[in-house]
Amino acid sequence: MLKDYPKAIVTKDGDSVLLRPVTVEDEQALSKFFSEIPDQEQWFLREKLNDPNILHESLKKLNYKRTLPIVAVREKDGKIVANLRLHLSLAPSIGHVAHLRVMVHPDFRSLKIGSWMILDCVKTAMDMGLEKLFAEFVAGAEDSAIGAALKLDFRHEGSLKDYIKDKHGGYRDLVIMSRDLQSKWSDF
Amino acid sequence: MSNPELVNRTAVYESNCGQITVCGLCEPGFFRNLKLDDGLGHFSHYSSIIQKLDAFETIATQKGGRVTLAIVDNNVVAGYCVGAYPDKNDRWAALGELMYELAAIEVSRNYRGCRLGEKLLNMTMEDDFFEDKIAYMCGYSWHWDLEGKGLSAAQYRSMMKQLYSKFGFREVYTNEPNITLRAENIMMIRVGNRVSPDDQLKFRHLRFGMKPK
Repeated sequence: MLKDYPKAIVTKDGDSVLLRPVTVEDEQALSKFFSEIPDQEQWFLREKLNDPNILHESLKKLNYKRTLPIVAVREKDGKIVANLRLHLSLAPSIGHVAHLRVMVHPDFRSLKIGSWMILDCVKTAMDMGLEKLFAEFVAGAEDSAIGAALKLDFRHEGSLKDYIKDKHGGYRDLVIMSRDLQSKWSDF
Repeated sequence: MSNPELVNRTAVYESNCGQITVCGLCEPGFFRNLKLDDGLGHFSHYSSIIQKLDAFETIATQKGGRVTLAIVDNNVVAGYCVGAYPDKNDRWAALGELMYELAAIEVSRNYRGCRLGEKLLNMTMEDDFFEDKIAYMCGYSWHWDLEGKGLSAAQYRSMMKQLYSKFGFREVYTNEPNITLRAENIMMIRVGNRVSPDDQLKFRHLRFGMKPK
């Protein structure tokens, strides 16, 4: 299922961007990517991959069966412009679902790169035989990602009120969205 | 141009569905005495793409048109694979005869599970003609016999991927509106070994709506 990577997309400004799984060789480029994410957004990162030590440890433990990290790389210079992580579970009780998180470099937003990454993730999850995909977004901070997910047939499952605290101590809701992956003939 | 020796070439297989003859590059006139198996046709939730033999004749008559048939009981069509250059109104026609569409592959409901799809594709693709082409297939989930196969659209998509990947195809992304309409839809390509990097790049841009200069 990973053999189709890298997958090319072309942005509206004509740049080729390749989607592919992360490898340990990406450490430097990923570190630069996370360092260029604005502070107020870094705050919301769950895994704190903006910390070089945590990123290093994470890459040392790469296991695509647990977490499939996909990067979008601008072909002409190798710059990482977006990062998506598909979190899987080995537990049979929740082995049919997965969670995704996506982040796009601020200079490369409005180019639909995030949308392509989410679509790629949906297709990969389908090919893995998963049944449902979940995504969580911070209300007010990731509204464009929510919009992209809605266009890709994610639906709003609910919100956890005041689940997130921002850098200034204000509360934000966590928006939970899901997408069914196994439509039957009767769904058409 | 295909090697003339490939015209009406046949291969006979023993399968769990009995003896099957696969005929490649069937030429015009070949179809006169054939009939379609009753597992190809119109069903409550699914209709075959080709429901009349005349369609094979039309395709075989076109420049570059290809018809590969799986025949049982001497004259019954149990499956087919058809190919052609893209229609002039298709996005892909902008690259002329570099592009070649495997437009449809279908196996009768009565002959599924006999690996006919693989045999049909094998016969179709076994031709040096494809080394100068970007061969492509577009799989639209609304054409798939999900009810007959008892599969979800995602499972059917994976089945298509597995089948075509055996012949060097891989999935590519495009913003072509019909493909993007459903995530299950799929475009797969096989790039011939004589296709230049420049042409491959033009095709990549075309996939995202940028016409070649």
